[in-house]
Amino acid sequence: MKRLDLFRDVLDKQVTDREKTKMGRVDGLVLELREGQPPRVVSIEMGFVVLARRLHPRLADWFLRLRRRVHVRKQACYSVPWSRVLDVSPFCVQLDVEAAETPAFDWECWLRDHVIAHLPGVAK
Amino acid sequence: MNMKKATQLALGIVTGVGGFFDIGNLATSAQAGASFRLQLLWALALGTILVIFLIEMSGRFAAVSGKALPDAIREHFGFGFWLVPFLVLTLVHVLVLASEIGGICFALHLLTGLRPAVWALPVAILVWLFLWRSIFSTIENSTSLLGLLALGFVVAAVQHHPPSGELLAGMLPSLPHHDPAKYWLIAVSILGSVMAPYLFYFYSSGAVEDKWDSSYVGVNRGIAFLGMGFGSLIAFAAIVVAALVLAPRGIEVDDYHQAAMMLTDAFPFWGFILFAAIMAIACLGAGIEVSLSMAYTTAQTFGWNWGEDLNPREDARFCLVYTGAIFLSSLLILFGIDPLKLTLFTMAISAFVLPFVAIPFLLLMNDRKLLKEHANGWISNTVAAFLLVLSIVLAVVTIPLVFLGGS
Amino acid sequence: MKSAKVHLELLVGREVHDSEGKRVGRLLSVTAEREGDDCVVREFLLGPAALLKRLGITTLHIVGFQRKKPLAVPWDQLDLSDPERPRLTCRADELKRKTT
Repeated sequence: MKRLDLFRDVLDKQVTDREKTKMGRVDGLVLELREGQPPRVVSIEMGFVVLARRLHPRLADWFLRLRRRVHVRKQACYSVPWSRVLDVSPFCVQLDVEAAETPAFDWECWLRDHVIAHLPGVAK
Repeated sequence: MNMKKATQLALGIVTGVGGFFDIGNLATSAQAGASFRLQLLWALALGTILVIFLIEMSGRFAAVSGKALPDAIREHFGFGFWLVPFLVLTLVHVLVLASEIGGICFALHLLTGLRPAVWALPVAILVWLFLWRSIFSTIENSTSLLGLLALGFVVAAVQHHPPSGELLAGMLPSLPHHDPAKYWLIAVSILGSVMAPYLFYFYSSGAVEDKWDSSYVGVNRGIAFLGMGFGSLIAFAAIVVAALVLAPRGIEVDDYHQAAMMLTDAFPFWGFILFAAIMAIACLGAGIEVSLSMAYTTAQTFGWNWGEDLNPREDARFCLVYTGAIFLSSLLILFGIDPLKLTLFTMAISAFVLPFVAIPFLLLMNDRKLLKEHANGWISNTVAAFLLVLSIVLAVVTIPLVFLGGS
Repeated sequence: MKSAKVHLELLVGREVHDSEGKRVGRLLSVTAEREGDDCVVREFLLGPAALLKRLGITTLHIVGFQRKKPLAVPWDQLDLSDPERPRLTCRADELKRKTT
């Protein structure tokens, strides 16, 4: 798509990587306001803290405090530069990344290695 | 229609029939028949017609848009709007799952004499294993085929020769002769058990797992009408059997033990065992579906990787949601909550939350950009409008009825 | 060149006032165009029914209820320097209405 409605076509959309593996959703979008030039989209943001902020800023603060005690990701919010967006289709926003190498998959990988791997009969 | 679609249609109808009956139907049907004979058949008929349309819309939506409901609702309405239905749906999922696990535990108690709470953890592990090791189609098919055992109720109902006059009269709404609060509470609970939110949410994810596309719209219609239609006959039969076996003896179903006697007239030697087997299998199938439904809803809400066909290594968070749900729900039974009371309470809550979970869905069915020529026509929209009004009425009356009807 | 960052997800449905403080409508959508690696905003749409427009559904039209058409605001006429209070840089009547 060349012409986009950022609210309808991008925000809350499924995010996938190069191989179309689901990585999360577009929880937030950062716009850069420039003097004398039209605003442009700088990055896509993903993470619970971004969602929390949409509900109430205090919720986001509480979530950040909770994170200080229990965290698997190195940063609370995963920010992807817009230049990494390969395609925006009715199905997803596809990024030029590999899911397992991004913070979006930190929890997924941690759970896989520390919990799933210890449960019986994983290989089918 | 080609061979593959014909097979899918046949399978879909069979799994619809076998998979229809669960603890909610069993509990509400037994209570309805025992306390009010055939007077509440109309509630079941109404619920069946509405659920047929809900399932048809859910399947059509998934086939044409390629998205499951939670996925599409978050995308189109935004996180803020979806949050409330999501939390409500999660609560109902946990309660229904606990009820189904309670049903399996009770069936095992009937067969072994050991208290239901003793069976809570072993049953949880069994349900979990089914999901952990199986792929979607195996689950769908095996539990639903076994679920055909519930046709035993239909056989029993026929054997009891229900009076046709009373049957027809029961199909029309009527006022109760006694205990109006209890009557209307059971009516609401019947509607909640038949139009269980997890059913039409799960169905859409299942359609995506089965990789349906627009060409499956016809198959979907067949499955919805014939699968749900014939499936509801089992619930009808359960009401008839309860009416003709329990009511004449003045047995009100306050406990599953009383319901367990329902099939002993028709099948003197093994009616008790058959009842336990039907209960166990129906609840196992439903329990698996509800756990999956909860995992689908959560994973889709946050955009995680999901799919029963994937190896757990590929969708760790999805798998851990159903794992967590199963064990959390089993705790309710482990701590000795009465399974029948839990079930009836849960069915009432299912009715209560219907507006929250149905309204976003019904709005989406009119989105022509998404569904093109498959968006709702005037028939579906008329039913949808009726459903909307009914769901709001249910939401308003349910809580007062729970207190008045003495659940 | 001065630049500031704004979180777009926090602007969904925000009320917009014009340069004289008169209420104009809610922010319904942001139209942007992809130009190479960039995604540049062209215009904003304002209107009364933020949620329904976002859905793109025609339910209300089915019932015969026609609402006001959304207002198109070119990118240089909306001031987002205070994201909690977006303002037009002109008066409301100086903007044209967009046909949907």
